[in-house]
Amino acid sequence: MNLSRVFVANRGEIAVRVLRACRKLELSSVIGVSEADQESTGAMMADRAIVIGPAPSKDSYLKPDLIVSAAVNSGCDALHPGYGFLSERGELAEMCAENGIAFVGPTADTIRKVGDKISARELARAAGVPLVPGSGEVSTVEQAKSAASDVGYPIVLKATAGGGGRGMAVARADEDIARTFDAASLEAEEAFGDGTLYVERFVENARHVEVQILGDGKGNVLHFGDRDCSAQRRYQKVVEEAPATAVPDDIRTNMREAAVRLAKSINYRNAGTVEFLYDQNHNAFYFIEVNARIQVEHPVTEEITGVDLVVAQLKIAAGEPLGLTQDMIALSGHAIECRINAEMPLRDFAPSPGRITAWLPPEGDGVRVDSHCEQGYTVPPYYDSMIGKLIVHGATRTEAISRMRGALADFRIDGIHTNTHLQAFLVGHRDFKDNKINTKWLETTLLPAYSSVMGD
Amino acid sequence: MDQTKNNIRALVRLFEQSDWDELRVETKDLKLVISKNANAPGLTVLENAPRTRLPSTADAEITDATEPAAKSEPAEIPEGLVAVRAPNLGTFWRAPKPGAAPYIEVGQKVNADTMVCLIEVMKLFTPINAGIAGTVVELVAENSAMVEYGDTLVLIDPST
Repeated sequence: MNLSRVFVANRGEIAVRVLRACRKLELSSVIGVSEADQESTGAMMADRAIVIGPAPSKDSYLKPDLIVSAAVNSGCDALHPGYGFLSERGELAEMCAENGIAFVGPTADTIRKVGDKISARELARAAGVPLVPGSGEVSTVEQAKSAASDVGYPIVLKATAGGGGRGMAVARADEDIARTFDAASLEAEEAFGDGTLYVERFVENARHVEVQILGDGKGNVLHFGDRDCSAQRRYQKVVEEAPATAVPDDIRTNMREAAVRLAKSINYRNAGTVEFLYDQNHNAFYFIEVNARIQVEHPVTEEITGVDLVVAQLKIAAGEPLGLTQDMIALSGHAIECRINAEMPLRDFAPSPGRITAWLPPEGDGVRVDSHCEQGYTVPPYYDSMIGKLIVHGATRTEAISRMRGALADFRIDGIHTNTHLQAFLVGHRDFKDNKINTKWLETTLLPAYSSVMGD
Repeated sequence: MDQTKNNIRALVRLFEQSDWDELRVETKDLKLVISKNANAPGLTVLENAPRTRLPSTADAEITDATEPAAKSEPAEIPEGLVAVRAPNLGTFWRAPKPGAAPYIEVGQKVNADTMVCLIEVMKLFTPINAGIAGTVVELVAENSAMVEYGDTLVLIDPST
């Protein structure tokens, strides 16, 4: 391989995941850790661990100059950013390029283009990827009503000046527009100094569906099917699955083709995800954004395709051919991932860092645990509360659900509080089993039900 | 509420690092007063809304969690000597440029503001001061080598 030593610029389970891929490819590895992570699993696994800064992320994992300096000084020729932290900062990709280090990700230019909401929407539009239907500017109640009838109720009145389009008022009929238009315009004026509004379809019954892609930066883009990540709390994914069987096949095909078209239009390099909303009421899908990195939920796609996506990322960064064509990517069975967090669901999900006194992960056919934790490990209070991911694979969705319930029941973690009990309640819930949920379901249906069952 | 907790933690850290004597924050459901003066008015009122109280178990675990960081403090500094440590990762330079005279030599007397070396991060050079008056006993870091955060650069004997 064209690369010899990889710098891992991340922590936690994804650092361990990347280090495993390095081993598989017989690459040596260096990890940059904060003072708090000196004795972490990642630090033990890597050939060398370098303390780049103190515990707070802003002084360590979020410092591109320290990270690239450590990578250069330790003789690395590639850098994997994982997810979160600096993974989608153009600056890091740029500094790597300037120092002759292969960034395991897209070019700085791509990161910036897809990272900016407005320019990402422009790219999508240009590539013929559907966006949430909306109008141009509306300046009177009559114009708004006319736009709403074109778009179809319910609609949301948004401020054109609002970053990302802040919603001002939801309208379900003409009367609602008459009643709320002036107030919404005034509110926009106050918030953004510009009272101009536009009308957008209000997607109230949506699923979050995304397409995994891989691009080699030479114009070749492959998709690895879709994932459904509709179980969310505060826009954070909680459970992810592949494939997205709740979505009709024709929609899924169109979605995959749209994702590939978009990635091809920017000559995308790296693993990436194109995220969509699937509007269950209108049977339509709309572009949300592109995630220009490996994602937390990539294992469900690996389970149903048999492709190691992190290894693929490293190969692409090395400029090697993928050795894959679209017809070689077959989807098999169903996979589900539950994020395991150190938190207290019944106390408003307060984080629960501390020492893990017992760590007994489930084992068996079709069960995978991606984690950096072990018995005696202390979950530091400085970072994200995710301590691992439990992934199961089954021949069918039903089999995967039953396997997940068993695995969650077997997962023993003592010393800290986790969300495994809530996850078991979630995957055992009738709505989840029937695959009849939307992005609001976890907050509006599941959590109230959980609280009442738990006597809270 | 996890946000609240993180915010409070961040505020406390900010306060500790500041030279402020007192910090008061008041929002809809939280009133926070932190003071370096134990008799500051209002200090006993930590939180108004009971829902924002941090669970005691988590508190205990957070205390626990800081343990390994403390344990990993580089030790083995000979008794009586003071270490000048790297404030961040970077390349250690004893002199302003190759061939130039080093900033300090062993046996040299230094003041707190005597410059002892440079730490370079991506061509950005930060001067490091001794931080204490005394005599240079040892140059621990090697010229042009990478030092990590917290590494001992120089040992100083403050008694001489």
